Amino acid sequence: MTDITLTTTSAPKTGPFAILLAASRHPLLSHAKVRLALLILIPILVLTILAPVLPIQKPLETNLRAMMQFPSIEHVFGTDKMGRDIFSRTLAGVQISLLVGFSVASIALTFGMVLGTLAGFYGGWLDRAIMTVVDIFLAFPSLLLAIGLVSVMGTGIVPVIFAISLADVPRFIRLQRSQVLSLRSRAFIDAARTVDASQYWLMTRHIVPNTIAPMLVAASIAAANAILVEASLSFLGLGIMPPQPSLGNIVRDGQTYLEQAWWISTLPGVVILLIAIGLHFLSDGVRELLDPRSH
Amino acid sequence: MNYQAPVKTTLLEVRDLRTQFQTASGTVKAVDGVSFTIERGERLAVVGESGSGKSAMAMSILRLLTHPGRVVGGEILLDGRDISRLSEGQLNTVRGRLVGTVFQDPMSSLDPVMRISRQMIEPIMRNLRLNRDQARAEAIKWLDKVGIPEPERRIEAYPFEMSGGMRQRVMIAMALASRPQLVIADEPTTALDVTIQAQIVEVLKTLTAEAGSAMMFITHDLGLVARFAHKVAVMYAGRIVEFGRVEDIFANPAHPYTQSLLGTIPSTTMLKSERLPQISGLPPDMRHEITGCAFKDRCAAAHDRCLAEAPRLTDRGHEHTAACWTPHGLEQALATGQQHATRLNKPFEPDGSVVVELNALRKQFATSRKMVVRAVNGVNLRVHKGETLGIVGESGCGKSTVARMLLGLERPTSGDIFIAGLAQMVFQDPAASFNPKMTIGDIVAEPLVVKSRGSKAERLDTVKRLISQVGLDPAFVERYPHQLSGGQRQRVAVARALALNPSVVVADEPTSALDVSVRAQIINLLVDLKEELGISFVFISHDLLTVRYISDRIAVMYLGEVVEYGAAEEVFADPRHPYTRALIDAVPVPDPVVESRRAATPLQGELPSPLNLPKGCAFASRCPMATDRCRAEKPALPDHDLSRQVACHYAH
Repeated sequence: MTDITLTTTSAPKTGPFAILLAASRHPLLSHAKVRLALLILIPILVLTILAPVLPIQKPLETNLRAMMQFPSIEHVFGTDKMGRDIFSRTLAGVQISLLVGFSVASIALTFGMVLGTLAGFYGGWLDRAIMTVVDIFLAFPSLLLAIGLVSVMGTGIVPVIFAISLADVPRFIRLQRSQVLSLRSRAFIDAARTVDASQYWLMTRHIVPNTIAPMLVAASIAAANAILVEASLSFLGLGIMPPQPSLGNIVRDGQTYLEQAWWISTLPGVVILLIAIGLHFLSDGVRELLDPRSH
Repeated sequence: MNYQAPVKTTLLEVRDLRTQFQTASGTVKAVDGVSFTIERGERLAVVGESGSGKSAMAMSILRLLTHPGRVVGGEILLDGRDISRLSEGQLNTVRGRLVGTVFQDPMSSLDPVMRISRQMIEPIMRNLRLNRDQARAEAIKWLDKVGIPEPERRIEAYPFEMSGGMRQRVMIAMALASRPQLVIADEPTTALDVTIQAQIVEVLKTLTAEAGSAMMFITHDLGLVARFAHKVAVMYAGRIVEFGRVEDIFANPAHPYTQSLLGTIPSTTMLKSERLPQISGLPPDMRHEITGCAFKDRCAAAHDRCLAEAPRLTDRGHEHTAACWTPHGLEQALATGQQHATRLNKPFEPDGSVVVELNALRKQFATSRKMVVRAVNGVNLRVHKGETLGIVGESGCGKSTVARMLLGLERPTSGDIFIAGLAQMVFQDPAASFNPKMTIGDIVAEPLVVKSRGSKAERLDTVKRLISQVGLDPAFVERYPHQLSGGQRQRVAVARALALNPSVVVADEPTSALDVSVRAQIINLLVDLKEELGISFVFISHDLLTVRYISDRIAVMYLGEVVEYGAAEEVFADPRHPYTRALIDAVPVPDPVVESRRAATPLQGELPSPLNLPKGCAFASRCPMATDRCRAEKPALPDHDLSRQVACHYAH
């Protein structure tokens, strides 16, 4: 990751503007895909964080005098059959989505890196034990696995995060293990071994730092995927239960009224799409930047 | 090398060829105005280091360039027809039928999931308009010609069932089967062992001569050029800097670059007290416009005119041309420089203390099918203080396994290793031997950190001292490996190996991944360090000339055993084991006169599988003088106190 730390320190700079200016020259931001991704994701993020203080109706508040209204200044995304503000509900849903995406990515990254490193580095029975479990989990399609787990554990955000993570962790273990296996035979590991470096030293100084970049790329794709899976589960009525809004259950609610009020389903659907596209562009851009061949 | 073509007619004429690679960081002018001709039946060698544009030039002829590359100008006349203007479809009738190609890596140029028969028969049917049975017979005939045993059976093999040498033979058979007028071979033997290389070169040479095909042979190995070529084109920075008949190029090189290249190769008679002439600096960055001569920064004879104006190829008589402003290149500068080129004449004097001792060392690996590979099969060796031991042998002979056991990277199956002090290593591939996320400073300091030597400030001082000791600027501590050239990285590798004051440094092919011009720099560095610090070296290489030059003693390994051991010059001047003799014979010497006198019978066959070692002498299967006694009774290496040991029943 050292390649992309701040390198623009030509003149002494103070003040928030100067820092922003310096940050904007960062190579990460000069990449077209990363810029596009941030252009999509940052407004969504800012609006979601500011949602509680925005002058909009609360997500659960109903208004029976303003049902199924077309989008307007007052209700940017319109209202649903109970007069709830779709924009406000969408932002609340995005909050859930981002929480799910971030949690799943972190869980998958943590467990994937630890278990994958151990399996790849030590090999032997530890590797066989970990990989047997991984292979069993990989045999199920991830959405099906999540549906199964949620129907056993019940609905709500914690079971959803758990269920999606359980499908992603094995993939991350696989990826990390394969990286470790190829790094383990590199000459710089041998070089460190000739001075009797400990196994802890080899893992923390030589192996793990070289695996982080591809794992972060995988994590951002996993986050996008987790958001889609959460939306699918909620759409099927298995994830976040109404009245608590989630992008999936808002789309589900509006589905019955597609002909009279298309905006109820469509606009939150577009938001899901934007988040997924943004995260994919981000991971793609970061991957290209970290690829030494792109320099 | 008595080459007399009956009638000289031009087969290929290249005029002002220009090829560029559009990259994100600028336009690389890989080929920048190259013109030359190849006569029918003539073998042209194109020499140059990596980045000189030799491969780009060859690939431009058939428009086989990889993505950002594009031919931007020039004419390519094959048999009078300009093939640079042909459409892709028309060009396909030229590729394969008129021009055959043999690439460097026979692993990736054969389709791994297709049998050889499928890959060979269809092109033959198309190119020679034969039916399937005729084409098959033709393919088998060519496989037989290139020396594939049992061609009727082997034609149904998959590429992975063959060794690298066999695959390269198949490639040659495929290239020649359509009876092309020209064969383009891009480093066809670089991935192979010396003995296999000698076989392949012989096959290429006889078969193209038989078929009357001309050949363009791209290589960085000047020894091969001397063995092989009628004419030589030396490329530097995208241009031909010297062109001429092979005898003239080797006897009277006119361009300073050619002169320097020839000088960097240790000769068979070179004394250790002579320092290898080296080419300082690096080739120019091809993304930038070059004003003046591209070689001026590395040239001792450069003067004002070289800085301003790029020289064109000018006539030097006998079809010999060179692009240099001075009439005789470096001659003057060499004559004055040579006196300084000898080292402190300090011949090795053993004081008796042994630094490394290997006793009956064995290493076996178990394969998945419960078979045992005997990688190292009873090796006894000693290295004295301040001595350099060279270990040579083909790949698979166990030399690297010995090195890994010396460093504790592999545990011996039996036998013991004694090391007085510490052993450290310089690895083959300077790109892979450093953690890309660490700075040079951290890399060199790592052994000190792991062993908790000194404070942080003391370590930094040590690191800077080591980095200057290997001839780099101490400011390099801040840099990352990818910012360094191959030669610079190998210097860093040496600095790291020296950090803990080792008593012995093991160098496993430390120069084979480097360009010819940089090799001499690293070899000189190692020899200097040995003299300054009194360290012992174990130098492992398949490059026999370098091993002879750098080593005091040589151990020749075959199938996990040492078959000959002795003082370097003695072993070279008077090899007693038939294998040593074959190895030395296989090494191409950069001298066309020597090469033309050489008997054209390279060592036959390949290294047998180490899975089931023969009962008798391991070399018996390839030995020209093997008898029944050899096959039944294993010759032992005599007691290792002797200064000269040979494991052969018939060694004199």
